Amino acid sequence: MGNFMNLAPAILFLAALLYISYWVQQQSSEARSSNFVKDYFIGGRSLGGFVLAMTTVATYSSVSTFVGGPGVAWQIGYGWLYMAIVQAVVIFLVMGVFGKKISLIARDIDAVTVIDIIRARYKSDLLANMAAVFIVAFFCATMVAQFVGAAKLFEAVTGYSYITGLTMFGIIVVIYTTIGGFKGVAITDAICAVAMIIGMSILFYCMLDKAGGYSAIMAHFRASDPAMLEPLSRGKMPVSLYISQWLLVGVCTLALPQSVVRSISYKDTKALRQAIIIGTIVIGAMTIIATWVGVLCKGVLTNPDLAAYGGSVDNIMPRTIVSVMSPFWAGVVIIGPIAATISTVSSLLLTSSSSIIKDVYMRHLEKSGRNLSNDGVKRLSMIFTILLGFGIYLISIAPPSVIWKINMFAFGGLETAFFWVMIFGLFWHKANSTGAVCAMFGGVVAYCVTMALGFRVFSLHQITIGISTSLLFFLIGNAMGKMPDIETLKLFFPDKYEND
Amino acid sequence: MKRSEKFRQANREAKITCFATLAVIIFWILAGFGLSGSDMVILDTPVWVLGGCIASWLFAVLVSWWLANYVIQDVDMEESTAAKGGNE
Repeated sequence: MGNFMNLAPAILFLAALLYISYWVQQQSSEARSSNFVKDYFIGGRSLGGFVLAMTTVATYSSVSTFVGGPGVAWQIGYGWLYMAIVQAVVIFLVMGVFGKKISLIARDIDAVTVIDIIRARYKSDLLANMAAVFIVAFFCATMVAQFVGAAKLFEAVTGYSYITGLTMFGIIVVIYTTIGGFKGVAITDAICAVAMIIGMSILFYCMLDKAGGYSAIMAHFRASDPAMLEPLSRGKMPVSLYISQWLLVGVCTLALPQSVVRSISYKDTKALRQAIIIGTIVIGAMTIIATWVGVLCKGVLTNPDLAAYGGSVDNIMPRTIVSVMSPFWAGVVIIGPIAATISTVSSLLLTSSSSIIKDVYMRHLEKSGRNLSNDGVKRLSMIFTILLGFGIYLISIAPPSVIWKINMFAFGGLETAFFWVMIFGLFWHKANSTGAVCAMFGGVVAYCVTMALGFRVFSLHQITIGISTSLLFFLIGNAMGKMPDIETLKLFFPDKYEND
Repeated sequence: MKRSEKFRQANREAKITCFATLAVIIFWILAGFGLSGSDMVILDTPVWVLGGCIASWLFAVLVSWWLANYVIQDVDMEESTAAKGGNE
């Protein structure tokens, strides 16, 4: 049974987040009464550099950055840390490639979501609805997985039950996302990112202290576990795994809708330029600290047999925290992974909600000639966000096995669905809707089927199959489709089609 | 700046970002795998770990700083809305 001391820090932290989103709501009440959708789903395009950087990093780094990843690092050693560094490129990659162009277009057509952009570019409701379905399905599974991971960690570290933890941060994240909207999510994300770094730094320090210092751990590796010191880890970390990870958590994250939507939300290019630097510093620091803790905690949990720790790498971090820290500090450190979880969930929840309300429902009304009042949209968006959030919470209490299957496909599935559709859509004027529909559908199906069958090419992760199938389908579909109309071309490619 | 020029500039920035990413990947390979044959140890840490992890991250930061200060140009984002007649 836990004591209150290790619950107190997390409660204070969550209460602070709740207050901040309430404050954001008060601040933006005026903006929301004139254009609710724009303020609620995109924060009125007002983010500065620091918040833009931190919200992008916090959305990207999830509970697996702090639990699953370090657990594998415990098993493999420095090779895993070396691989994890790929994530240092993801912030400047997404912002440098899409950041400016998508923002210019979004301002011209008043776009609020990534799907708005896709719809404007390809003029296809089929494509837009398919994108919404993929977003909602994959996001919901990811949110459940995040909740479950964090609640298990909470249980293992504090001694309070799974349901206590889940209820505590589950309910709070749903409430603050609902009232705070995008701006609330962005600001709380920034605070979460700071909390993650502080929490992990404390853990890093305590762990070294407990293990007798860095030199002692390294000496232990040299003497009895030299594989930890080799990049290929004596076969445990083959080159194919490096390539797979470079694609899966590196280059292909470029088109993830939850990252790209942040490129619509910033205030001016100065914010974008700042965010590129801050984001790269922070994501690298966070990855290094969290994963390095995982490598070095082998000096604390020295039994090489995973069965000694419950047979799952997910147990490594909780056991490390419990064995190196007092209950109070364990309670402080656990804020880090909780922050990572709720900052990911808040962003995914809001993006899912915008997909359904803005991209599917409001579009449907628009087409049948009806329009919703600003207040109507407000009520609907907030009710939907809170219902979806509570639904996710309820499912997380006893998650059905199908959720795990979808979650396993989620990250790569989203990358496959959006990668070529976004890149060709913004940079290739001949790309058309037939190509995009084929690419999104064909790629995701090929990816999910090969994942389910466990079929690999050159032992590379199935993301390679998804991405290449999607490319192939795009090119074939594109050859059969029609060129986009001249209005679209002028909007997206003024450098080629407008002589102003 | 005209809208077409903004887009031309944005395309150039996107292309350079891709090459910058490639540069980080190459640095990462050379500083990590490239040094993994060496037995040198600095501060108790194998030199490939310092190169492949710490130095590669610092290199990525340097690249992002270069992109932000020398590649990505400030443009007036609102102006392009006005040029289209405005949607606000």
